[in-house]
This record gives sequence, structure tokens and C-alpha cells, in this order.
Amino acid sequence: MSIPMELYLPIAGNSVNIMAVFGLGGAVGLLSGIFGVGGGFLMTPLLIMMGIPPTVAAATDSNQIVGASTSGTLAHLRLGNVDVKMGLLLLVGGVLGGSVGVQVIKLLRAMGNADFLINITYVLMLGLVGGYMFIESLQAMRKAKAPAKQEPEKHVKSSAFGRMVGMLPWQMDFTRSGVRMSPILPLLLGGLVGLLSAIMGVGGGFIMVPVMVYLLRMPMHVVVGTSLFQILFTCVNVTVMQASTNHTVDFVLALILLIGSSLGAQVGAVVGKKLGGEQLKILLASLVLVMMFKILYELLARPDVLLAYIGGH
Amino acid sequence: MKRVIILLSFLLLALPGAALAANLDFGVAPQGIAIDTFYNGTSVTVEGAAPEGADLVVRFSGAPEKVAMKQKGKAFGLLWMNMNTLHFDGVPKVFLVESTLPLKDLGAVGPTLGLDGLTDKVGIEPATADRAMLLPELVKLKKSEGLYRERTGAVTLGESAGGQRKFSARLAIPSRLSPGEYAIEVIAVKDGLIVAQSSQPMSAKMIGAPAFLADLAFNHAVWYGVLASIIAIIAGLGIGLVFQSKGAH
Repeated sequence: MSIPMELYLPIAGNSVNIMAVFGLGGAVGLLSGIFGVGGGFLMTPLLIMMGIPPTVAAATDSNQIVGASTSGTLAHLRLGNVDVKMGLLLLVGGVLGGSVGVQVIKLLRAMGNADFLINITYVLMLGLVGGYMFIESLQAMRKAKAPAKQEPEKHVKSSAFGRMVGMLPWQMDFTRSGVRMSPILPLLLGGLVGLLSAIMGVGGGFIMVPVMVYLLRMPMHVVVGTSLFQILFTCVNVTVMQASTNHTVDFVLALILLIGSSLGAQVGAVVGKKLGGEQLKILLASLVLVMMFKILYELLARPDVLLAYIGGH
Repeated sequence: MKRVIILLSFLLLALPGAALAANLDFGVAPQGIAIDTFYNGTSVTVEGAAPEGADLVVRFSGAPEKVAMKQKGKAFGLLWMNMNTLHFDGVPKVFLVESTLPLKDLGAVGPTLGLDGLTDKVGIEPATADRAMLLPELVKLKKSEGLYRERTGAVTLGESAGGQRKFSARLAIPSRLSPGEYAIEVIAVKDGLIVAQSSQPMSAKMIGAPAFLADLAFNHAVWYGVLASIIAIIAGLGIGLVFQSKGAH
């Protein structure tokens, strides 16, 4: 073999096949381009399967998302799809939540429970998001078959939440999104997503998007742009924090993934336009649910080895 | 007084190392392991001469270390998770054993030179821990990482001359190797006894890009994080710009 295909990763402490990592980045990027999500929720578990230590996989993925979300934000800024005010509030919350998350991981790593927490957070979030999307798109497909049926219940159901939000102080207008609310709400929700994304090592897009659509009531096109804008900064913060506190960012790995995923995402965006809406959603939901069952199975089945290392190096 | 001197001289004669190392000599190539950008495991060649008629055991091992581990157990009777902490004592990072015959066929001393002998000396804290269950698990974990191994076939015996027989061995060093100090040992076994043994140090060092990155990541961690982010942003901008200009036309 003339070209070396294996690359030693100094932080992960193992070598990987360059083409396998590049292909993984490309495949996840392709899916994220088609479905409009960051793809971190797929990337981290797949890296773990490739033999990268879970804490390194999570931190490195944050670094990778920095690059991937940069190109996305750039495109959406040009289209005027970024609500900067809302994005900044979510961001401040996200940075605070992310910093807490990194400390939580550090503490749990010292106790040896970090990997368990990462797994259980995955199961919960994948199950929640996958299940919700699956049911929602099933309903949408049924509605399309019987278009006469109306659904007024949706507004009644969320009115209690709406009244509570209306009682918060400092109500202000978010013109780009066309909503009026207290800045406390995006701050809190941003903090929650930041905490989860630091623990899971994902940009938080697949949690943030439903939060913005269903809880902040923002229009879909602004949601995608603002989410990417916000994810970019959150992941810069998580990358710097993980690198300085836990020494778990493998830059070589991140760079190969990044090139693969950015290319894949561009191809995916083109493919996504050619495919139909609800079927795509249900495909993604199935994918998310399969991932969840896989991780859940690992938690329930007897492990191959009954011992685990504490910490990394 | 005389008896003491006689006793002492007998003891000196009985000391194995100094007297026995004389008739077992070997050299290694390369002298050290360089972990460079394209490191994906390597092989070390051991060549030398050992007493004729003896079987050989070649070992590559790290210094015994203390390792803290978590034992996995069922939480709430349902989910497998890390439970109580265990401290293992005397666990080398790497322990590779190659021999001319399976260790169990080398007589009484055979098994003590391999993984069985290693785990016999491992201490576990708390002392109440279940050794019979935990030690095989430890070996299983290390084996799954490619860091522990016990096998035959890599040592070949050559021609003999003057009571010595030439040998050579090719040790496959795993890709998951941490930088540090290791040792290569050759042990000659005859009739269930060690008749000669010799050892040489071997160090593994990161060189080139991995050394640079590891130094940056551990000693200038904040800068490393900032740089990693900046380069990722530049790469993202670059790829985004290339595709947008293509897509626009």
C-alpha cells in the first residue's frame, strides 16, 4: 500500500482509517443535509462504535459541528433567516448551560459515570424527539388523506403554557420571528439545550429546533437559520471548555469529519429538495428511533466486559 | 564466621540473574518505537542466541501500574451501569507474550510467565472483591483492546552452534499504544525451569505531528481549543463559499 490509510489520533490514543472517518462524516453530513439537523446525535455514537473513547467522541463532535454550522449560518444570514436577538438570548442561555454541562461531565468522569450519563441522555432525547416526530408526521400523513378534518385542540392544549409565558416580566417584540415574549423564556430554554448538548456532545439542533417551533412559536425558516447561528457559538464554547478542562478534543479527527460532513451536507441539501416532505420526516424519525433502541439494548443487555476505565488517559 | 562466608557465596551462586544472563543474548530492532502521524501499530524484531534445547518466551510489557476501574453492575435491577470503584495494583498497560510452545506445555514454570502469572500478582482493593470473577474480566478488557496477548508462532528457532541456538521473534505492537517505557524480555525454559533470561528497555515516544498536538492539547489547552475552533470555522466558511458560488450559477 503506497498511501497510508491509517492515522494516529494523539488525543484518542488510537489509530483510525482515514477513509472510514471521512465516509462517516460524509454519511452523517448527507443525512443532516437532507433532513436539516446537525447530525451530532448520529455522529457521536458512531464514533464510539469505531473505538473512540466516548468522552473524546462527544467533545470532538462539538469541534466538528463548529465547522459544519459555520457554512450553514453563512447561507441563512444571506437569506435573512437569522433572528439575531432571539439567537443571542438562546446563546447566552446556551453558554451558561454548556459551561454547567462540561463541569457535570468532569465531575462524573472522575466518578466513572460520564459514559453512562451520555448514554442515558441519548436514550431519553432520541426517544423523545424520534417518537414525537414519528407521531407528528404520521398524523400529518393521515390528515393529508382526510383533508376535511380540522384540529382545533392544539391551541387549547398549549394555552396553559401560553398564559404562564405571558405572565413573565419584560415582554418584548422579536420582529424577525414575529413573536412577543419575555427574554427569560429563551434564556431558560437556551440554558437547558446548552446543558444537554454539552453532556451529549451535540450541537443541540435536534432539541433546539422543536423547542423553537413548539415552545417559542417561531416560523420554520427562521428556526433553521437561528438554530444554526446559535449552535455555532454554543459549540465553539463547548470545544474550548472541553479542550481546556478535559483534554478530550481530538482536532485531527474533527478536521477529517468536518471535511466529510460539509461535503455530505451540500450533496444532501440538493437531494433533500428532490424528495417528499412527510416521508422524509418519518424516515428520519425511524432512524432516530433505531439509534435509540440500539443504545437502550446496550444498557439492558449484559456487557461483554464487566469492568470500565475511570477517566481517559 | 567461615560458615557465613560459605553460605553467602552459595547464595551468590544461586542468584539467577547475573549468572544466567551470560548465555542468553539478544538485540532488538528498532531500538525505540516512534508514534508518528501514520502510526498504526508496528513490529519489533528480536534476534539472539539462547541455550540449546530450551523453549523461549518473549515478552513485551509495560511497568506494573495502579489502575482505578469501575465494576459494571445492574442499577435498579435493570440498567447496566458503572457501580463500585476498584483499585488494581500491578497492572501493566501492555503485556504481550510470544512463545515457541503454548505456556501450559512448558512445565511448572510455564503458566507463571504468562497472563496467569501476571494476574496472580495483581492486587485488588477492596480486599473483599471477587478475584475469580474480576481478574478474567480485566484480562478480557485488555485483550479486547489488543493490549494483552498470549500466543505462539512468532518466535522461530534457528541453527545451533556451541551449545547456543539462534532465535528470532517478530512482536506485533498494538496501535493503541501510549507513549512510555516498556521492556522486552527473553526467557529460556527447559524441563519446567528457567535456565536463562535477559531483558532490554524499549521506549515509545510520540514524534512529529502527534507529539506537537498532544503537547498543545495538554500543556496549552485553552489555545488548543481556540485554535481548533478557529480552524473549524475557516474550513466551514471555505467549503460553504465554494459550494454557494457553484450553486448560484
